[in-house]
Amino acid sequence: MLRFLLNRLAKAAVVLGVVVVLNFLLIHAAPGDPATVMAGEAGAADQMFVDQLRKQFGLDRPLHVQLGTYVSHILQGDLGFSFRQQRPVADLLLDRLPATVVLTLSAFTLALAGGIALGLLAAVNVGKWADSAITVVALLSYATPIYWVGLMLVLVFSVNLGWLPAFGYESIGAGHAGLARMGDIARHMILPVATLGLFYMAVYTRMTRASALEVSSMDFVKTARAKGQSEWRIVTRHVLRNAILPVLTVAGVQAGQLIGGSILVETVFAWPGLGRLTFDAVLQRDYQVLLGVFFVTSVLVVAFNIVTDVLYVLVDPRVEIAK
Amino acid sequence: MSETPEIAEPAAPLLEIRGLTVALPEGGDRAFAVEKIDYVLNPDEILCVVGESGSGKSVTAHAIMGLLPKPDLRIAAGGILFKGRNVVTMAEAEQRRLRGHRIAMIFQEPMTALNPLMRIGAQIEEALEIHTDLGKAARAARVVEMLAAVGLPNPEEIRKSYPFRLSGGQRQRVMIAMALALKPDILIADEPTTALDVTTQKQILDLIKAIQRERRMAVLFITHDFGVVAEIADRVAVMRHGRIVELGAAEQVLNRPSHPYTRALIGALPHGRPADKPAFAPAAAPILAARDVHKVYRVAGTRVGGRRELVVSDHVNLDIHPGETVGLVGESGSGKSTLARTIVGLVKPDGGRIDFAGADLVALDREGFRPYRRHVQMVFQDPYASLNPRHTVGDIVAQGPVAYGTPRAEARARAAELLRLVGLEDSAVARYPHEFSGGQRQRISIARALAMEPKLLIADEPVSALDASVQAQVLKLLAEIKERLGLAMLFITHDLRIAAEICDTVGVMKLGKLVEIGPAAEVFGSPRHPYTRALLDAIPGQGWAPPQDHGGS
Amino acid sequence: MNRDFLHAFARNKGAVLGLAIVGAVILVALAADLLFPASPWEMAGAPFGRPLADGMLMGTDMLGRDIASGVAHGARVSLLIGLASTLAAVAIGVLLGAVAGYYGGRLDDLLMRFTELFQTIPNFVLVVVIVAIFTPSLVSIVVAIALVSWAPLARLVRGEFLSLRSREFVQAAITCGQGDATIIFRQILPNCMSPIIVSASLMVATAILLESSLSFLGLGDPNAMSWGFMVGSARTVLRQAWWMCFFPGFAILLTVLGLNLIGEGLNDAFNPRLRRKRKA
Repeated sequence: MLRFLLNRLAKAAVVLGVVVVLNFLLIHAAPGDPATVMAGEAGAADQMFVDQLRKQFGLDRPLHVQLGTYVSHILQGDLGFSFRQQRPVADLLLDRLPATVVLTLSAFTLALAGGIALGLLAAVNVGKWADSAITVVALLSYATPIYWVGLMLVLVFSVNLGWLPAFGYESIGAGHAGLARMGDIARHMILPVATLGLFYMAVYTRMTRASALEVSSMDFVKTARAKGQSEWRIVTRHVLRNAILPVLTVAGVQAGQLIGGSILVETVFAWPGLGRLTFDAVLQRDYQVLLGVFFVTSVLVVAFNIVTDVLYVLVDPRVEIAK
Repeated sequence: MSETPEIAEPAAPLLEIRGLTVALPEGGDRAFAVEKIDYVLNPDEILCVVGESGSGKSVTAHAIMGLLPKPDLRIAAGGILFKGRNVVTMAEAEQRRLRGHRIAMIFQEPMTALNPLMRIGAQIEEALEIHTDLGKAARAARVVEMLAAVGLPNPEEIRKSYPFRLSGGQRQRVMIAMALALKPDILIADEPTTALDVTTQKQILDLIKAIQRERRMAVLFITHDFGVVAEIADRVAVMRHGRIVELGAAEQVLNRPSHPYTRALIGALPHGRPADKPAFAPAAAPILAARDVHKVYRVAGTRVGGRRELVVSDHVNLDIHPGETVGLVGESGSGKSTLARTIVGLVKPDGGRIDFAGADLVALDREGFRPYRRHVQMVFQDPYASLNPRHTVGDIVAQGPVAYGTPRAEARARAAELLRLVGLEDSAVARYPHEFSGGQRQRISIARALAMEPKLLIADEPVSALDASVQAQVLKLLAEIKERLGLAMLFITHDLRIAAEICDTVGVMKLGKLVEIGPAAEVFGSPRHPYTRALLDAIPGQGWAPPQDHGGS
Repeated sequence: MNRDFLHAFARNKGAVLGLAIVGAVILVALAADLLFPASPWEMAGAPFGRPLADGMLMGTDMLGRDIASGVAHGARVSLLIGLASTLAAVAIGVLLGAVAGYYGGRLDDLLMRFTELFQTIPNFVLVVVIVAIFTPSLVSIVVAIALVSWAPLARLVRGEFLSLRSREFVQAAITCGQGDATIIFRQILPNCMSPIIVSASLMVATAILLESSLSFLGLGDPNAMSWGFMVGSARTVLRQAWWMCFFPGFAILLTVLGLNLIGEGLNDAFNPRLRRKRKA
């Protein structure tokens, strides 16, 4: 297990390394050199200031030296400085990270658990109404823009029915504490988590259904049937675990998309996470923050990948034993 | 259907199939998978159901177990009586109580028949959990007992293993242990040895026979192989196009078949005796001489298995003379196909030399190999994978010469000629591969090889995917063409009976080594290597010499 | 084969529905200038007009612009960007996948690591960063979407090539002396067209969703009226005017649904065996 984890961590390091290089290249590929851009952001575009910035950030040195400096800064936790907000990017990101982690992790759990359950239900009832209903709903959810679902849910559940808060992380000024505060946050989470989770639940539902149908046609399921097992037992003991494996693999790969989706959801619900930060940075063309967001979301993706890999090992005994 | 009087009729049949008809989905080329099938299975006997692919031989077995794929296949008429009770009309729960308890089944593909994510012990225990109220310890003890009974070493350890640790033969033993765990009245075996090597097949057949004798079970054994029938059957049912054409005692059906179809089937079997012609005397220097060819595959680690090395050619020496047919026999993984692919240049060996027409093929790069390539051609094993489904048959045959600069029109005219030569109609040129049967596709494959005007033809298991009757035809065609064009041929097969019949010289391979090579009559008549003897000994149905007087195709 | 294929496709109700939807969207996009000759940016009536009021089918937005006109003109942008970025992504994906799968070995390892990386990094964030840095325009949006979309296709094509490469008909082509280019393009590629077509049709759908998300965040081409932009700019007035968000979003839903249905229909028609299993 230790070796397995080390292996995954090494892979993660490579991914992050490439993201850092990509970030660096993007800054330099941007129209106008970074100093001009930064000067623009700082609101002072005169040549003196630009030259001073150039010197300060070593922009007059060869590219590979600059890359070295950039990497060493990142290793020290320095992700640059946002002139717009007059704060280090790392601080801005750290402020917003917890809200995004809470949102994406909840949505991921909901999507995975719900998707596997619904997909299996559809596969077991293949051709019957339950299957058709699940398939149609999944097809629709899969085709709907995530932000629009969020808006429509707000329209129904907040504006028309008034059941749930439409935006924010908690009620401001309500002065909740302890358990009451937790409940308040939970109520605020329902719509964003549902919005983000629904789309990916559709993805995993479709995948689980297809995978379960494929597993059901395999020889060992026939063997199980020949033992006189009930259909329920066959599904829970033989089909389920085998059908989950490909879903987990894809869920790991798609974690990046889910985290990307959270940007849209956070924008809709004014959720105080990285998404809101991104939206504001886009409006203000705050590149340092955008690149920081890209880096941090990549770290998150890598973390999600390790989680799904561990889940995979738990489901498939062969991986660990074979090592 | 009349019972043969020679057999003493036991008190009551254990299983009785009465007018069973299973319907196929609409729009197929047949309305029924099986039609009006009648037979009985008595206690303490082995009944073999034999037939070619598509004869419906395993549909009945699946119907008995209630395993017909729903809703594609359904029972349209007839009954299946187990101890007088009709399984077809039984409630699902009642059927389940029979399944795996009184009637057990094993399947063709041991590699996929076990759940890869569950320990062997747990999979065998499942049947006990469902049908008995044995406690945990008792179940575990029974599992160990069963694993020992089917001859697996270290049953305690195997009980805790996952299937991927076991070989195909071991997995089939596990399947048998699982089937026998509840001491069933009937064991249904659906081609249980088809996917296994011949020596493993022998062990499994012996095991099934021994267990049947010991427990006096009834065994319904489905197979396509008359050798296997001769090895194990008490009675035989021959099926064709969903009907039983002949049913009787094994001795009678095998030696005095009454139905023309049975006679044709048996007549088409390779008799497995080396031809009575004198040993091949080379008239010229070898056209191909392989010296010290070796190759090791480094199998990359997967998510499941680690990295390992596989020796596929272990310093092999081989000569092929003009006009000679050299056979390579051996079990899967023996390296016989790799050797063939090395000679045609599909696999680059790690070392050694292959002399052909004055050049060492191994030393040549791809460009240098090109002039020699056309003279060494190959016929492949799988008729369904060896022709590009998107090209017409004429194109497929003409492509090689065109790549070598023959004008397209000329190449196509030649292709039409060759297709006639291999016995296909003129219209074949413009058609696509999917319109042809397996045997016809192998003919196209042969025409494609011939289009290159080869000096050496390599046939890699060219008939192993075909039914016995078609096998005989394709073999005959190969022999004729070889004779007519004076080709040298390297013939690779796992079937020793075929090798004995058509090869001048036979080499036996094991784990990448050529352990024995010599004139066919010698290798089969007085084998020197113990492995050759083991292989020969494992050929099923050796005690039986198929009657030849009926003449095949 | 072709007739069987058309037959199988036509029998699939979902696929036919999808084709009808996408056909309608294409028609509207082509006829947008005829249906709504005025620019969708121009004021056409009173602001905050409800649907069907003042002869406006879908009402007006907060600046009095005709939403129906916006939806019709938006169809162009969506389809254009969806198609263009898919074509670019397919070109990259097929090329890299074919090379990796056919040649195998270290080259394959290297290309697949690279592909995996592109699959792992957060796609949407990268698109946002690229478009923001290079300023939003049709070109930068198409390039950015293509850049994050090719990876799954490359893996798919590579897998197909890997398995077809060891297929006997390819080996026969090698023994017949055919060159690499002939084998790649004449022997192997035609045999993996069906999965490529299927995933391309699904990729158009994904690209449209991505584009609409970009313009929702204000990163669309500022000169083109697009569905995502309409939803994004109307979301602040959601409480007062639901229709401003609803119609453009629904147009996206319909278009993407139609494309997905077509993709699935193609998949089913290409794989009759699977289709039967699905119905089984």
